[in-house]
Amino acid sequence: MSRPHDLSRPYLSRRAALTLAGGAALAAGTGRAAKADATLAVWTGYPELVPWYKAMAEAYAKTNPGIAVTVFSTSLREHEQKLAAALPTGTGPDLFDVGQILSITLIEAGLIKPNPSAIDKQLQSAAYRPVSVQQFTTEGKTYGLPLMFSTPAMFWNKTMFRDAGLSGPPEDFQTKMEYAKKLVKLDASGKMIRSGMSLRLSGQGSGITEKFRFILEPAGGSIITKTASGKWHQSYDNQAGRDTLKYYVDAVQVYKVDDPKVQHDADAFVAGNTAMLMREAWVIGEIQKKNPTLEFGVAPIPAWKPGMPKKTLLQHNGLYVSGKSKNSDAAYAFMQFLTNPANSVALTQMTGWVAARADVDWAPLIQKIPQYETFVNPPKDMQFFLEPVMGAWNEIQTKAADQLPGAYIDPAMQDPAKAAAFISKLAGQTDTILKQNDLFGTN
Amino acid sequence: MGARIRRFHRRHRLMLFAYTALLPVLALFTYVRIVPISYGVYLSFFNWNLLKPRKPFVGFDNYLQLFDDENFILALKNTTLYSFSVVILSTLIALPLALFLSRRGRMSPVYQTIYFLPVITPLVPVSIAWKWIYDYNYGALNYLLSLVGLPSIAWLTDPAIALWALVVLGIWKVLGYNMVLFLVGLRNIPSMYLEAASLDGANAWQRFWRVTLPLLRPILLFVLVTSTINAYNVFTQVYVMTLGSQSAPGQPVRMLVFDIYTNGFQFFRMGYASAEAVMLTLIVLGLTLIQFTIARNDPAREA
Repeated sequence: MSRPHDLSRPYLSRRAALTLAGGAALAAGTGRAAKADATLAVWTGYPELVPWYKAMAEAYAKTNPGIAVTVFSTSLREHEQKLAAALPTGTGPDLFDVGQILSITLIEAGLIKPNPSAIDKQLQSAAYRPVSVQQFTTEGKTYGLPLMFSTPAMFWNKTMFRDAGLSGPPEDFQTKMEYAKKLVKLDASGKMIRSGMSLRLSGQGSGITEKFRFILEPAGGSIITKTASGKWHQSYDNQAGRDTLKYYVDAVQVYKVDDPKVQHDADAFVAGNTAMLMREAWVIGEIQKKNPTLEFGVAPIPAWKPGMPKKTLLQHNGLYVSGKSKNSDAAYAFMQFLTNPANSVALTQMTGWVAARADVDWAPLIQKIPQYETFVNPPKDMQFFLEPVMGAWNEIQTKAADQLPGAYIDPAMQDPAKAAAFISKLAGQTDTILKQNDLFGTN
Repeated sequence: MGARIRRFHRRHRLMLFAYTALLPVLALFTYVRIVPISYGVYLSFFNWNLLKPRKPFVGFDNYLQLFDDENFILALKNTTLYSFSVVILSTLIALPLALFLSRRGRMSPVYQTIYFLPVITPLVPVSIAWKWIYDYNYGALNYLLSLVGLPSIAWLTDPAIALWALVVLGIWKVLGYNMVLFLVGLRNIPSMYLEAASLDGANAWQRFWRVTLPLLRPILLFVLVTSTINAYNVFTQVYVMTLGSQSAPGQPVRMLVFDIYTNGFQFFRMGYASAEAVMLTLIVLGLTLIQFTIARNDPAREA
């Protein structure tokens, strides 16, 4: 891998972004005729996107002087709650970004309307991968536009690997565990001061199950599977589910390569307190801001065993116009502007999130920051699993997440029979939620 | 006869004036309290999803479902354990503290201010600060333990300890308030009763047990009732302390209001969340009535 770009310098300045976006605005001729003198309220659940939205708004205003944009951001969890409370009453934003956990519920409730023809045409064009088009289509109609992907890969600390005599990232999860044993660091008293790999072991919320899925899917399982009749059922009360739980239990209790007590997640990787982390591209931005001298690589999520396929999550975050927006024409026009190729590149360069457009030339970015390669040009044999587009998905993940951290540290889970009983009970809960939502079926 | 009628009219006019004067406040109270509570009770009989247009009537189904809901049962257990611990311990600490500070020493107001500071500090920054204090690697608490040679404790991430970490925060937060209430009660006890007891040969413990505590009973009741209501409504610290990967696991600190919030605002099941809220109201109401019955100040009996 070539020498990384000097991460201490911003890889796209605000001025450059404005110039880029301004040029794109002129080139695009703003697409649709925007309604004059409108103030668009944009809400985002990703505070790190705010500078990008603001830069885009400034650039857009140059060719559309009647359009002003206000940007409001909160944490993702609060953003979803605010949308759910505000959209039905017509007090929400004109334009917002959100994951499909919520968007499908909003679509089913009629709070997001089908795309007008110009947006539909953009989505159906070669600009997006077929899987994106499929994810943004409900009952034959398209809703919103894909904004960015949330796809995990494996961050690994090159310095720590070198010190441990390891030449490169592991190709499968069993090797990853072996590497983690060499990479974990204890102090003189035996207290862990650096984890070999950082798993999600504590806290609460759907993210815990999402990370469980990062291993479950390569192991051959799924949280839920869709049947031919369009219904769903759990698909982890099986060997893959048990293997995944065992992997966590082994990591925490048997091989002790991770511990809930030590620092976790991106903070741990950025601070050099873990050797391996499975996370999305935004961590590159975090490293750039907080520890630009960190020597790290990004590799695909390993396969479960040699010879098995590599799999990773392809989670879409979309842009949507509120069905109750009084400025919907202007909002759709601004949405098109935000998602044009130049501004898609600017999105990734300014925020670290990978833009969802497929017709983007990533070469200049990869030349500057090679770590993006895995995210924007994943290996050809990489398989993707998707976010089930259903309203109950959040509840399924969150309720499983309530139980998992306790199991990871429970010594009883080292007993295969007890671990199997735990997985079975958890899977039963998943099916119960599906039944309560009239989504359960096995045929 | 004429004087009686005039008296009746005067009293009638006075009542009319009182109720008219109270009317704006009553209207506001009805609007911000009675109506939402009543609407919450109404919602609890429906499968009321915030985002779905169809909201069918389900009778008592939401209530029946509660008894099969492991999360609700766990939240009820945790909240009860938390509330009893915070109420009992904070009362047991606040009362002697108030007795000590009721002596009119020069430094007494300073100590009162220090103890009262947590009460007026907003809960979100307080919870964030305590999350740092409890941090396993960099927290002040483990640093203090290390100074006396004790091993670090995973205050938040150990499921067996996390709830008690919240209890400590809860006591710290409410201690000053209870102490000030006790202080007011103590200062309102006429000194002649204590002097009379001294003349009768009562020692300090007997004076406290036989004179001070019985006369403090209304304040004690008030402290117990308000602390119980507040403790059962614990939410903010749970929300903050379970946020992120380096935080308390959800289940060991699952509390009722957090469960209501999750069902209402994460899963949008407002009908079910309302049923939980009604149950919480009934539990707190029941406990308050029990406290009133036990600690009722009956002057006739006292006499």
